Amino acid sequence: MTRLFGIETEYGIVVEGLGANDWIAESIAVVRAHPGKAVGGWNYRGEDPRRDMRGFTVHALSTNPDDAQFDTPGTNSMSREEERSDRVLTNGARWYNDHGHPEYATPECRSLRDLVAHDRAGERIALASAHKRAEQRGLEVTLYKNNTDFHGASYGTHEGYLMKRDVPTETLIQTLLPFFATRQIYAGAGKCGIENDGAAPSATTFQLSQRADYFSVEASVDTLHNRPLVNTRDEPHAAARRYRRLHVICGDANMSEYTTALKVGTTSLVLSLLEEGLSAPVKLLDPVRAVKKVSRDRTLKTLLERQGGPALTPVEVQRIYLDEAERRLRGRDDDTDWTLTEWATVLDALETDPMLLADRLDWVAKFKLLDAFRQEEDLQWNDSYMQSLDLAYHNIDPEQGLYYGLEQAGEMRRLVTDGHVQAAMSCPPADTRAFLRGLFVERFSGAVRSIGWNGVAFKHNGADFLFDMNTLVEENVKVLNEEFGSLETLDAVVAAIQRRPSDWL
Amino acid sequence: MIFQGEERRQMPTTPADPLRKSGDGDGPGKPDVKRPDTSDLLKRMKRVDPDAARRYRQRSGQ
Repeated sequence: MTRLFGIETEYGIVVEGLGANDWIAESIAVVRAHPGKAVGGWNYRGEDPRRDMRGFTVHALSTNPDDAQFDTPGTNSMSREEERSDRVLTNGARWYNDHGHPEYATPECRSLRDLVAHDRAGERIALASAHKRAEQRGLEVTLYKNNTDFHGASYGTHEGYLMKRDVPTETLIQTLLPFFATRQIYAGAGKCGIENDGAAPSATTFQLSQRADYFSVEASVDTLHNRPLVNTRDEPHAAARRYRRLHVICGDANMSEYTTALKVGTTSLVLSLLEEGLSAPVKLLDPVRAVKKVSRDRTLKTLLERQGGPALTPVEVQRIYLDEAERRLRGRDDDTDWTLTEWATVLDALETDPMLLADRLDWVAKFKLLDAFRQEEDLQWNDSYMQSLDLAYHNIDPEQGLYYGLEQAGEMRRLVTDGHVQAAMSCPPADTRAFLRGLFVERFSGAVRSIGWNGVAFKHNGADFLFDMNTLVEENVKVLNEEFGSLETLDAVVAAIQRRPSDWL
Repeated sequence: MIFQGEERRQMPTTPADPLRKSGDGDGPGKPDVKRPDTSDLLKRMKRVDPDAARRYRQRSGQ
């Protein structure tokens, strides 16, 4: 692919015998139990989640009032740094506590294969931390890579895509809305039940998406409450005049490697179309309603009303984007061609028999597995046992998780080997600035004061330095990575930074 | 049924799959994990606590 991308996963947490009012403390403890090499201290330079790409900054972000039940007033005296407990890892990833969820943010990747490996490496790093914490606590600690507690609380799996700043914001929003409302037909992780529907949570339905129930507006800067399909947060983590980072919050936590690659590959191609001048090839009359309708119809035949034409099925909406991408982007690079081919294959199969995709799409694999068990055990879909099995699909312990059970049985298609995943636990991608971040953690951790996505602050010979990485987002960073990778001393690194031309872009 | 060892239907394999090309000489291959039969998966499902989801409560995240 031609851009940087990454995935941030907030894990669900359970500690034997404890409850949700303990999750902030326990999430912090799990993060701090990380057994590998790491540097603490996140650098927030340039970060403000209240800044909206539409050109304004909101006073405050919405929060979920339901969370107040888990707080004891006056008991939280931690600083932001203590509460976050950031750990920057040798692979360039960030591991920290976010609102009572251990969160793993992959390093920036440039290929789908690297991203899949690093997303799965995050599962192993999270599991190793949970096991270490369990040893310390003497209690079982379980982490789930999912997005719902089945009682109305959701937590996110976000994607970040670097893209050109000059795509008009309104064009970006209008083009993404129909795409996001429908990509869940292949990117959904599947869920037993319906939440947040003005009624008591119901377990009577198996729907395509974990997150679809949680979106109430088309576009906004919020992420915790009143969530939008298109998040307009403006945090580029790069040179702001040239780039924006699209922060996608409407996706599910995927266990399947293939689903992760297809989700990110297709979204990246739609952004490429936008960068080439595409503008909203289709407009749905009500994208927020559509995301729920699509999610709750496993037949995929639901019709979505649109402006200026007959209603379309979700597959037909996706084909509009696929056809544009096929016409304009085929041949650009291997990841692009893989994505185009698989996108077409999957849409064809979804129209004929979605069960053909049980070896690669999460929602299909989960439905097939749970439905077989349901029939064998004579259960109804509204039995809460089914939701427990849904939850177990996302357990990241390979000895307990149902997705892992499918994978070990050879039922799921893999895109990377366990060797790649193992390597990604400690090694950053060689072709992104994450390599430089990881290098500082690996070799010069004693000098580092803080690290962020766009820079490293460190001390050397009594002087403070800031290694600005805002411009190091293009492929030519490989040259710098190779040079810095051969440097053994901080003196040499400082000299190399000072030699770096100011017009790196 | 997955538990009865029925042969799975397979989609045609993409002839040129860049994600399966190595590119670095160490390309993806078959996963190096042990492969229990699907009866192990059934046992794993039966070990799931039926009330796990009923008790599962989380704080809202992003």
